[in-house]
Amino acid sequence: MTVERTEARRFPVGLLLVAAPVLLVAVFVLLPAIAAIVSTLRPDAAGWSFSAYARFFGDRLSTGNLLFTLVSTLVTSSALLLLCLPIALYLRFSSGRLPTFVQSVAVFPLFVPGIIVGYALIRFMGPNGTIQTVLHAIGINGFRSPYLTPVGTVIGLVWEGIPLTLLILLSGLAQVPDAAIEAARDVGAGGLRILTGIILPLIRNSLTVAFSLSFLGVFGAFTMPYLLGPASPEMMGVFMQRTFSELQDPLQAQTQAVMCFLFCAVVGVIYVRSVARSRRKSA
Amino acid sequence: MINRRQFLATSAALAAATALPVSRAFAATKLDIFTDSDANISDWLSNIVKPAFEAAHPEYEVNVVIARNGGLDQVAQRALAALNAKADPQIDFAEQYDPNLPKGGIEAGLWVRFDDKLVPNFAHVNKAAIQSPYSMPYRGSQVLLAYDSAKVPADSVPKTWDALVAWIKANPGQFIYNRPDKGGSGKNFVVRAIHEANDRDPALFTASNFTKEEGDKRLTPAWALLNDLAPSLYEKGSYAAGNTAALQMLSNGVVSMVPIWSDMVLQGLDQGVVPETIKLVQLQDLALAGGFSASVVPTIAAHKDGALAFADFLLTEPMQTSVLNDLGGFPGVDWSVLPTALREKYAAVIPASIPTYPEGDWSTALNDGWYRNVAPNITRG
Repeated sequence: MTVERTEARRFPVGLLLVAAPVLLVAVFVLLPAIAAIVSTLRPDAAGWSFSAYARFFGDRLSTGNLLFTLVSTLVTSSALLLLCLPIALYLRFSSGRLPTFVQSVAVFPLFVPGIIVGYALIRFMGPNGTIQTVLHAIGINGFRSPYLTPVGTVIGLVWEGIPLTLLILLSGLAQVPDAAIEAARDVGAGGLRILTGIILPLIRNSLTVAFSLSFLGVFGAFTMPYLLGPASPEMMGVFMQRTFSELQDPLQAQTQAVMCFLFCAVVGVIYVRSVARSRRKSA
Repeated sequence: MINRRQFLATSAALAAATALPVSRAFAATKLDIFTDSDANISDWLSNIVKPAFEAAHPEYEVNVVIARNGGLDQVAQRALAALNAKADPQIDFAEQYDPNLPKGGIEAGLWVRFDDKLVPNFAHVNKAAIQSPYSMPYRGSQVLLAYDSAKVPADSVPKTWDALVAWIKANPGQFIYNRPDKGGSGKNFVVRAIHEANDRDPALFTASNFTKEEGDKRLTPAWALLNDLAPSLYEKGSYAAGNTAALQMLSNGVVSMVPIWSDMVLQGLDQGVVPETIKLVQLQDLALAGGFSASVVPTIAAHKDGALAFADFLLTEPMQTSVLNDLGGFPGVDWSVLPTALREKYAAVIPASIPTYPEGDWSTALNDGWYRNVAPNITRG
């Protein structure tokens, strides 16, 4: 009896607590998103039609940009995992001053605004920049700057993405019990075996979360592709902005946004499922 | 020991005393000068023009009003409403505004029609800069070619489009222009190609004559010209992401020549950001495009005489010299009325003409067409 009453009383309080953020999301995110989707399906007063999407898929420039964005995003997200996993493993299994230093360096990009990184990278890896000067000094010529190429964008996005990916992997690795690793070592398992047999399966969730979050962040990226990338193909963020403000074609810009949203939604589902799985496990 | 009341009284008296010299012996008429231009312009108005004008005309006091982000549109609307209601528009002068706005304003007699009787110095205004008699051009900016004189010998500096094309092809990788939507430097280079493909006649493009067919007919040959250049550009067809990015590549010695806004490079040279070896040249067969900022005065301005005196003052030699030296802009008056020394200093950039290209549909078609037809044409190995 008492239990029931407490629950009944707690219920509205909990709802009230989440009501404000939910309302905010509904009014400022969901409603405009739905309105945008509806308007792409009703390009004029005549009624429902897929003409905006037909135009998008009939246009080689648009589909090319979408494909390019997808490839760039997959490459960037994979590069982030490959780069951050060794760092995370090192930080997890060593102690002392050096790892602390490494960690603070790795998290540093979190505190630097993207536009500044963009310009710094132009000076660093751009033509006649630091890299080229150093290479030239030690006798290596023929360096071709990645500035204004797709590789330039990927480098910039990886630089920006390191802190988040690293922190997620670290939190996953923190849950790997030392005992399990020691036990494996006692029966003679080598480093690689421990990694593939014990650590990776245990942090599978963190890997998924890290991958999907960086995917979502990179897919709609604007600053890095704008500053470092090529004029063509463009990533969707830059393309949408140009369609909207330079070509003054809000309908196509919205259609492009909905296409981005669809791709991100798929990854979003993967993310939500993996979060739900880990919550179930810990519950 | 001084008590609080004494302290307050003394400081109030002191404050009043220091304020005294500022207020004039007679009450000066306050002119409301509006601007929606960037901070460099409003600073220039407040710090250079205002003191100079007030010294020359002690009967007036200049009040610089900054109305950025569309504020001036609303002020102009209000002025039109005031015209109909026979009220004070509360604006005497707009530093830069399109007299074709608001719609119907000119027909209703909203803006002063300039001539040299109202504004004596108007006679000196560069004829090429006058787009409408209802506005007074007083400063301009134009895209020109900036090159590194350490790498480009004086006798090989191109002075015509054909010579430029030949130079770019003879020096592969040494030229870059920025994407047309990311800055006027690159856009006006593309405009120059469009003019080249259309008998070098900027008059073919007006704000109202765009149609899809006309656009295809006029722009397609320009894409061919630009695609022909692409393999000889920096990295065989890379395009900088903005005016500054292109200028930086020139300053760093990555490329030897770029198209760039005159005011950007002149200011950069002045501040030492751009190395002194960078020199400027304008094409003489048809110049790269540019534009002028022109001022308007409402016919019903409460202090119209003061506003016209201010307009006249902007066109005087000291102010026009200041446009060049302090703003890095182009004078609105004819170069011939400026001091010889100044004219010689900028001899290479004085254009034979100042072509323009309309905003709106033509610009949209330029942006879209360039991204579809020129940008993808990369032969990167």
